[in-house]
Amino acid sequence: MNATCTPSTCAPAAPSGVTESVRKPLYKVKGNIDAYEVRVEMPGVPKSGVKLDLEDNILTVRGERASNVREGMRALHRELSPLNYLLRLRLNKPVDEDKMSAKLEDGVLSLILPLKEVAKPRQILVS
Amino acid sequence: MKLIRPTPSVFARVTDFDDWLRHPLASMPSLGQFFSQLGEVFPGGTSDKMSVDVHEDKDAYYAHFELPGVKKENVKIELNDCLITVTAEKREKNGDSESRCALSRSVSVPDGVNVDAIVAKLEDGILNLTLPKAEHKKPRAIELN
Repeated sequence: MNATCTPSTCAPAAPSGVTESVRKPLYKVKGNIDAYEVRVEMPGVPKSGVKLDLEDNILTVRGERASNVREGMRALHRELSPLNYLLRLRLNKPVDEDKMSAKLEDGVLSLILPLKEVAKPRQILVS
Repeated sequence: MKLIRPTPSVFARVTDFDDWLRHPLASMPSLGQFFSQLGEVFPGGTSDKMSVDVHEDKDAYYAHFELPGVKKENVKIELNDCLITVTAEKREKNGDSESRCALSRSVSVPDGVNVDAIVAKLEDGILNLTLPKAEHKKPRAIELN
């Protein structure tokens, strides 16, 4: 199964000056022959809070949480992190950007990143 | 002068979760945070616990449960005496197979909640429970004559 794609995580870009505190979401990646399938858990992030970016084979997923806390509320018990999500994945095979698809459902972002034709394994027929 | 309202229930101390939340350790990093940090060390998993936040204002208590990837029909909320239990089944399609994971978390209901008016809403993977305070439990100003 060496033909499958295996992305590796990469550290956030070197910050210039101010660092924004973020956390890495839980995620799963499935590398198929023809596409990456990425599943990122980002509870509390509305559709409008998701930002996707692909540059130099690095996929950046940002999720901005919508706050549940209104003015006048007092915290009695806290486990949920208020930090926004940031995930950066280095893709080891070129992805066809025009065919990428993303879906946010129940706080889970599902991405399908089809590989470029040149990156797919080819069979050569013997004549 | 102190106004003291007699508590009708002998379990008042148990139900008053305000009390134990004011425990000196309540502000320590919770196990939940510990495990979410573990999740960063060993990525690639899905959360198998349910984190919860509890807030309060003058009208109600608010509990927020983190339930990413859980459908509305797979959430069950039960109120039993002074305990609210959220049970959720997380289903994940994996090609032809499907993995299921059951999660459960209980929160004690504070004294003085109008249990008939509890509202639950699931949005973006967060379950929001609103537990309105009973009228007599809300703070009120006492006028001077």
